[in-house]
Amino acid sequence: MVTFARFALAALLGLAALPAGAEEVPILRIYAYDSFASEWGPGPALKAGFEKQCTCVVEFTTTEDAISTLRKVQLEGQASRADIVLGLDTAIAGEARATGLFAPHGLDLSGLALPAPWTDPDFVPFDYGYFAYVYNKEKLPNPPRSFEDLIALPASFKIVIQDPRSSTPGLGNVLWVRAAYGDRAPEIWRGLKPHILTVTRGWSEAYGLFLDGEADMVLSYTTSPVYHAVAEGDHRFAFAPFEEGHLAQVEVAGILKGSQKPELARQFLAYLTSVDAQKVIPTTNWMYPVIDLGPDLPPEFGEQPKPQKLLSIPESDITAMSRTWIDEALQALQ
Amino acid sequence: MKRSRRSNSPLPPRPLRLLGGTGVAAAIAGLVVLVLWSIAAAASAEPAAARTPVDVRHLLAMTTIQAGLTTVLSLLVGTALAWALNRLRFPGRDLAVGLFASAIVTPGIVVAFGLLAVWGRSGWVNAAWQALFGAPLDVPIFGLGGILAAHVLLDGAFAARVLLGRLDAIPMARLKTGQSLALTPWTRFAVLDWPAIRGSLPGLAAIIFLLAFTSFPIVLLLGGGPANQTLEVAIYSAVRLDFDLNAAVLLALVQIGACSLVVLAAAGFGHVPASLGPVRQQRWSDRGWAQLAQWVVLGLGVLGFALPLAAILVDGFGTGLGALLQRPTFWRSAAASLVIASLSAALTLLLALALGLGRAASANPVFRTGIGVPSYAYLATPAVVLALGIFLFVRNSGISPDAAAPVVVVIANALLALPFAVATLGPPLDAIALSRGRVIRSLALGGWRQFSDVEWPLVGRDAGLVVALAFCFSLGDLGVIALFGTQDFATLPLLMVRSLGAYRTNDAAAIAAIMLSLTILAFVAIPRLFGAIAHARA
Repeated sequence: MVTFARFALAALLGLAALPAGAEEVPILRIYAYDSFASEWGPGPALKAGFEKQCTCVVEFTTTEDAISTLRKVQLEGQASRADIVLGLDTAIAGEARATGLFAPHGLDLSGLALPAPWTDPDFVPFDYGYFAYVYNKEKLPNPPRSFEDLIALPASFKIVIQDPRSSTPGLGNVLWVRAAYGDRAPEIWRGLKPHILTVTRGWSEAYGLFLDGEADMVLSYTTSPVYHAVAEGDHRFAFAPFEEGHLAQVEVAGILKGSQKPELARQFLAYLTSVDAQKVIPTTNWMYPVIDLGPDLPPEFGEQPKPQKLLSIPESDITAMSRTWIDEALQALQ
Repeated sequence: MKRSRRSNSPLPPRPLRLLGGTGVAAAIAGLVVLVLWSIAAAASAEPAAARTPVDVRHLLAMTTIQAGLTTVLSLLVGTALAWALNRLRFPGRDLAVGLFASAIVTPGIVVAFGLLAVWGRSGWVNAAWQALFGAPLDVPIFGLGGILAAHVLLDGAFAARVLLGRLDAIPMARLKTGQSLALTPWTRFAVLDWPAIRGSLPGLAAIIFLLAFTSFPIVLLLGGGPANQTLEVAIYSAVRLDFDLNAAVLLALVQIGACSLVVLAAAGFGHVPASLGPVRQQRWSDRGWAQLAQWVVLGLGVLGFALPLAAILVDGFGTGLGALLQRPTFWRSAAASLVIASLSAALTLLLALALGLGRAASANPVFRTGIGVPSYAYLATPAVVLALGIFLFVRNSGISPDAAAPVVVVIANALLALPFAVATLGPPLDAIALSRGRVIRSLALGGWRQFSDVEWPLVGRDAGLVVALAFCFSLGDLGVIALFGTQDFATLPLLMVRSLGAYRTNDAAAIAAIMLSLTILAFVAIPRLFGAIAHARA
């Protein structure tokens, strides 16, 4: 039955399966999350920029979000045709490393300007941001200055967050609270509960609710207000700096061990951290660049200073404990 | 012996129809097995993940309560609206009917945002209230109430559309008799309307229950927190976050099992013969309290159903439209969407006719259930499991996902619309078989003549509704396309999601409004077209 179905499907598709390895120009296959490769994301410009210098073709295969990219190569295992996985972040880098699917990048990254010096042998960072609550300055002249400040506000003050099981910032929020409060995290979540308007599936629903005026603040990134300032000339939005500090989200790319073109992949990652590529990222992915761009960084990025106090969690703790912390947060919100 | 029993049955023997129905049902059931098997095979290659167990019983109980309430409310609202629409004539009635049907096929998130634009903290109602009374009106739109409101908005209007079709098809002769007997509005409903819609209610109930049971983004968006969840959320989390494919398959089986129970229970109601006549302009209004009640129901319906949809249109046709229409990607996605929608609509009609005709050709309840139940498979199978299973299967077959994507999307969209199509076409086809089976036998009509001369003229308009439904479902569904992740092949809903993910809310709103307009247009035009074709041949 299965064989027949396979045969039927193959016949139906006009035997579309092409023999691998018959490429005239080498194809660099990159798995990335959808919004990275979409027409508004950095994907098209990076593809064009790298193709100019490599005599190769860059091909993006996309998934709904970063974590699904990892799942895709895990499912494909050694048979994966991907050369690079792009868009993994701090929260899942440890899990990705543990799969053993990634090869060391072998690049010298000492010149990067990141919240902390970069020593990772496997993954190359290409942008970063901080999780933060975003608000409208006109509607909210005095935003809360910490989670505890927020908890002390009347229950009519609403925030909207994302489900940590289905959303990257949702998971980042759980890690942030944990990094700031340790074992007090459940208490903080219980305190937040009356303020939480709803917990959406993805970032865009939550951000939509905020823009529609349903909530006073939304969990997003410190760079979200920059989008409105640059793309819409709208300077009403800001993020609320929290006294307990902010957690960075560093987005990384890695070369797969199974890649047939490791050298080409390495060249792409080197390009990714070059000035040319980094100039593209701030106004397409709306994150901070990983090198100092000087005057090439739009001034809107400096309108609000980056968070002063930074938090972090060891990668091994994230890998071992994040599911427990998620359950802890969800339990407290029940 | 066999011969004599056959001759007692009013149904003409139709072996080809039985075979066709069986084949389609078996193929769909096989697809679900294949999907689950593909995942289970991949799971055995992965080490078992250590994770906290999901409280399945609690989730099942909560999901069942929510879905049960949604079903009861939707059917009540739907019946009331159909009753009002059947009796009242007013300018713009066709538009109202089309509008009501379009809710269910519009992406759920879009409808939920429409609902919030009317009832939310910054919504129209609150703004009006604030202007009138100077204080905010706190509508509890987040929580179980919000979930139910959004689900009834989607499903109740759809129920109304299907039931209205049944009411409009009550034969003229019965209405004339009823009129001459001067039936009271209540007796008229009990004697004429109720028998006409009874047969459609179990199928509708099963569909609505399944939709609510497997609802995901709406439940999270309006649920107000993790206290409101569905099993589907847990399955999504098992696949995405825990990467525990064994758990995903097990949870999927629990969900399919629970959904099958509901579908079987609905099938157990058996088929109720409903009399059926061609749709003609019938004019018999109720008087007095009943007419007043109908106008009130209609008014509430328009307020409740049309306002959120109007909000989507107002929002979308504002600022974003001009910029959107300049984008080549928009036109490419729109073209892809229209082609896919047309193909899957045609496929849905074929499959639904095969299933409906096959089922109506048999009086054996076990056979009839066996043919009917698999058509619900797509609704019961968790979306993430279905997408993952198809992805694995396509990959294992050595087919390039790029080439498979359009084919899979057409099939998936056709399967999505299939239960609705079967629920719409099944009852009238059953009714024809029962009421006209003897005549067909005595005239010794062949299967094709039976279809072209008897069945098609009577169900043509319903077939139009099915095509419209399937077309619009396909237009609005994100489904499996996101998983195939090819940059060159995008549909309108995928483009909408991409815009949202890139802060481009204006573009997204404009796309939503365009999809909704296309949908309303399809619902007004396609059933009329099919009705006209069917009548021209009658």
